[in-house]
Amino acid sequence: MKNLSLYCIDINSRYCPCLLAETNHCVFCSQLKGEESCNCNWQGVCVLYEQHWQKKNSAHTKEPLRSEITTKFSITEELAKDIYLLKFSVPQELAKELNKPGAFVFLRAPGDEHFCRFPVGVMKVSENEAYVVIEKIGPKSTRLFFNNNTELVVRGPYHNGMFGQPWIDKITGGKILLIAGGMGQPPALPAAIKLSQNHNKIVAVLAPGKVGHIFIAKELANLGIDLRPVVSMRKNGLPLLKELLIEKPDLIVSAGPDEQHYAIVNVLQDQGLDIPMAATNNAPMCCGEGICGSCIKETNDNKKIRTCKVQTDFTYLIPY
Amino acid sequence: MVKIVVVGGGWAGCAAALAAAKCGADVVLLERTDLLLGTGLVGGIFRNNGRYTAAEEAIAMGGGDMFVAMDANARHKDIKFPGHNHASLYDVTTMEPLIRKVLQNYGIVIKTKARVVDIIKYGKKVQGVILDNGEITTGDAFVDTTGSAGPMGNCLRYGNGCAMCILRCPSFGPRISLTALAEIKEIMGQKMDGTYGAMSGSCKINKDSLGEELRVKLEKEGVAVLPIPENIQRKSSLGKKACSQYALPEYAANLILLDTGHAKLMTSYFPLDDLRTIPGLESARYEDPYAGGIGNSMRYLGIAPSNNSLQVLGMDNLFCAGEKSLILVGHTEAVVTGLLCGHNAVRYCLDMQYLELPRTIACGDFIMFVHECMNQDEGLKLRYTFAGAAYFERMKNLSLYSTSRAEISARVAEAGLTDIYNTCLI
Repeated sequence: MKNLSLYCIDINSRYCPCLLAETNHCVFCSQLKGEESCNCNWQGVCVLYEQHWQKKNSAHTKEPLRSEITTKFSITEELAKDIYLLKFSVPQELAKELNKPGAFVFLRAPGDEHFCRFPVGVMKVSENEAYVVIEKIGPKSTRLFFNNNTELVVRGPYHNGMFGQPWIDKITGGKILLIAGGMGQPPALPAAIKLSQNHNKIVAVLAPGKVGHIFIAKELANLGIDLRPVVSMRKNGLPLLKELLIEKPDLIVSAGPDEQHYAIVNVLQDQGLDIPMAATNNAPMCCGEGICGSCIKETNDNKKIRTCKVQTDFTYLIPY
Repeated sequence: MVKIVVVGGGWAGCAAALAAAKCGADVVLLERTDLLLGTGLVGGIFRNNGRYTAAEEAIAMGGGDMFVAMDANARHKDIKFPGHNHASLYDVTTMEPLIRKVLQNYGIVIKTKARVVDIIKYGKKVQGVILDNGEITTGDAFVDTTGSAGPMGNCLRYGNGCAMCILRCPSFGPRISLTALAEIKEIMGQKMDGTYGAMSGSCKINKDSLGEELRVKLEKEGVAVLPIPENIQRKSSLGKKACSQYALPEYAANLILLDTGHAKLMTSYFPLDDLRTIPGLESARYEDPYAGGIGNSMRYLGIAPSNNSLQVLGMDNLFCAGEKSLILVGHTEAVVTGLLCGHNAVRYCLDMQYLELPRTIACGDFIMFVHECMNQDEGLKLRYTFAGAAYFERMKNLSLYSTSRAEISARVAEAGLTDIYNTCLI
């Protein structure tokens, strides 16, 4: 499969060029990084051109940032202590944008400051209802449930929740190994849906993790996915993975904590296998617009990338 | 076996591939679009003024295949137009398959739609190039003939925007420079006002859109000179042009059309509404660039620093030619530099002394002279060609200009270079 070079998930979308381009910090266009001539690798619409036309049409500038919507939410299920499955309704257009692998939103309670918002991967979109799973753990997520609050401010759509997303979008008729543990289950579901739409044969290794509960099994089974539930990813999942690798899958999708990604990469390296791996993006994020810098990670060739926007191969983020 | 990888399939890249194959190397030619020849697909002028000498030198040195093919495919020979004598015009609509055939006959592997996006480099050596489908092509030496024109962002910043030219960046992806990927700092040409780049010097009108009388005259004579009504003359636009050999007052007062298969209009761009006020052009429309009424491609935005063997400075096994190597204009210039660079790429692999062309022949003097000029700030504002401007004058002064095949081959023989490109080195 095609190597993934660094590229911006928002390129050529309605959110491009973004605030970063205005100050010559675009993650893609060399001229919008302040260089004197073109040195990009993009085969789509030229970002500099887009900015040029937008400046020309500044009388009717489009809103470059995501919109915020206040909406009611309800707790559909308490999956475990302090872990809730939530649903809330969103406008149709946003629902459509969120119905993709790697899509996420920022949430906060209506009265809270902007910096209280936190990123959450979208598990499922049904009609105009978005489903997310939230663990009440830090100050931000806890605030959402303060004083029996039932409203939230949703900001989105954001799309870089999964590294290697182009692989998930493009592969057809392939063999896929999906590995999801604990809170990795919600982002695993949209990836599984997309992959099965494209007639891929999926084997899923699922572990309950800290949640203590495999809650996407039914939905995956409905997609005709071969389920291999295990009690512990570390103890049972990884040995099972070694067996499943004999089948030489075309793509591995790892949904879970970074430790899980690393463990899988180790197994692959031990077996001398070079199989592309899509992996959930677990970087802390505050703004989602490439501005704040909290999601910056360093690639193994010493480039600093803003992972809320920049798509890459997860293995580039593992130091040599 | 020696393997040479040529990146960029314009005239320079084709000539480099040819020269390397003639030396006995395995050659892979990688081209970003689906056609070879690059801007040669819309050019067509050769053998005018000093280019005649340069072409004959290449023939005497054994690298004449390209010129023989151009001659064989010429629509017009020995025509005159202001400032230019004994020009030939090849048919741009049929040239590409012919050259492809020539290269295939030499066993060159041509890969089109093969855009290089990255290199694998170790120290001062390029080990391989990575295509946009992830494929890796390795080689012993590499040739950068990626040109210096486009992509869109450059045409926007330094010109009038993308005019949709034959380079077709939006369709095939932007030009990528091997030299820049190797982290060698590139040189940028300048306009007279000091801003970067220069605009391509001609646009092409669809011949069927010309008035009947004009079209017949053009096809018969190869050239038509149409006076521009005074109210639409634009004397100031000349400084922006790439092709300074056409920056003559005649060109401001007249529209000069040449029959290259298209009606080649010797100006960078010309507003369509104005164009259509000129008799014979009432229904004219552009063939290349499609938006020839507003602008043209911008070039000289990424030239590799090189020595007189056309080896990229700072790298061991990377060579360059055409616009990538010097601020030059024209197919003839691309071909003669391409031949030298392809030949030297093979010499690198065999640990041989590099070939440098001596100052006693025009091609040698040209490469050295342009390198000298490019070391001076003012030199970056000029364009160099055998066909006119400063260099043609110099050629005449140094008695390097000749249209006698016998005289030129005697000079080449005296320099000990007869059939040098035809010699298998491996």
